[in-house]
Amino acid sequence: MNEKKAAAYRLGLITLVILAVLTIVEYFVAVSLESLVLLFIIAVVKAAVIVQNFMHIARLWREESH
Amino acid sequence: MSAVTTHSSHDDAHAHEVPYPTQLRANRLGLWLFLFSELFLFGALFTSRFVLWGNTRPALSQEIGLLATGILLLSSYFMYRSETAAAHGNQKTFLRSALLAALMGTVFFIMVVVMEWNVFGLSGELFGIELFGHLKPSDGVFGGVFYAMTGMHALHVLSGIALIMIIWWNGRRGFYTPERHWGVEATAIYWHYVDVVWVFFYPALYLMGQAVQ
Repeated sequence: MNEKKAAAYRLGLITLVILAVLTIVEYFVAVSLESLVLLFIIAVVKAAVIVQNFMHIARLWREESH
Repeated sequence: MSAVTTHSSHDDAHAHEVPYPTQLRANRLGLWLFLFSELFLFGALFTSRFVLWGNTRPALSQEIGLLATGILLLSSYFMYRSETAAAHGNQKTFLRSALLAALMGTVFFIMVVVMEWNVFGLSGELFGIELFGHLKPSDGVFGGVFYAMTGMHALHVLSGIALIMIIWWNGRRGFYTPERHWGVEATAIYWHYVDVVWVFFYPALYLMGQAVQ
């Protein structure tokens, strides 16, 4: 139970770091490369990370309680 | 005497009660369908930005945009932490994280309304960074699209903060258990959705295209 709990908290922290890094990358891509496509891809990846890790979309088709 | 007539009134009252796991699945599906319907609203606003602005954008403060985005991401993290704590029966972390998520959401809201919209007509700099925006809703397509997108998003931030405060209040009274805390889960999903919308709005408003003064 404690292992599961620690893993859940760790996932949140890892997700936050991924999102922060991608946001900084996004900023520098905009400043230096000015690539619309790349910016859009980064936004999609960020959204996917949030939907998967924070919003737990997988619970929709899993027999999972809280 | 038939089997039906031997039932007590208590049994009858619970005969049609939906089991909690089934109810939970239906709740989740309902919430996601609602969020999917919201996608059309935000998708239309997002599309209008590209139709009306093309490869240009208004010259907005990059620092405010980046900082506001960071604060909203941090807020999302605290909401996740709050939900995780509720799921594991950690009441103290649940309440504290929910409050932090609401606080950061409020800071984000203030940054958009007070600083970027500049509703009080202020001016000022900090370390050479301009703190208050100049764009007005009447400034053609730049103003119209910017205020429509940030306004609709800010409205969702505001309702998200209200929801977080409701679960915080209920949580203080011991309303949620590790087994039953759908209210917390739903609020967290909604709050993360608001974050997802900003993930697309931020580059569309602040980063994509050539800045026009």
